[in-house]
Amino acid sequence: MAKARIGNRIRRLRFERGEMTQEELAARAGCTRQTIIALEQGKYVPSIELAFKIARTFGVTLEDVFQYEE
Amino acid sequence: MMSYNKFKILRLFVVIVAGFLAAWAAYNGYAWIPAPALIAAIIILLLFRRGLREITVDERTFSIAYKASRVAFVAFGVGAVAIGATLLALGQSGQPELKPVGFTLCYSICALVIIYSVAYSVYNRKFGGQA
Repeated sequence: MAKARIGNRIRRLRFERGEMTQEELAARAGCTRQTIIALEQGKYVPSIELAFKIARTFGVTLEDVFQYEE
Repeated sequence: MMSYNKFKILRLFVVIVAGFLAAWAAYNGYAWIPAPALIAAIIILLLFRRGLREITVDERTFSIAYKASRVAFVAFGVGAVAIGATLLALGQSGQPELKPVGFTLCYSICALVIIYSVAYSVYNRKFGGQA
């Protein structure tokens, strides 16, 4: 079975939003900066709740931020 | 409001003071000092954490803590049972002073497994599983 992976466009979205810092995104999404770093590096997959919070912070849908890759 | 770096320094200081107090009290036979000292340290740290301006604990922290506690649980369980059983066996074969240590280790694992089972049952019900 192929390994599934959740990819994301957080880094790109941050830069499209006027180079929003990781710290600012973390504060607005209610998580730590370390979590944002881990997400951008693809080392951590967030919960549905945090995924929605991040998407709402950017004002986009969940699938604009996260992609399910098989 | 406090920065995380300042919080880390204060946390280290509080842990050192509480540890020193508990060790000093244990060494000098003041049985009533260690528990209040540790409780006071926990309360002080919780108050400091409230004063933080940035988030320091989130779901990733809990995820890491969960995995770390699983590893610690298994490592301690297997290690303590192996050492405890060895000490009990040695206690049976001519070194009786090792028996209490072996029993303590083995019973501590029993207690840990009971606590784990109760906690698992509680969380299983909380998150919708059947008892």
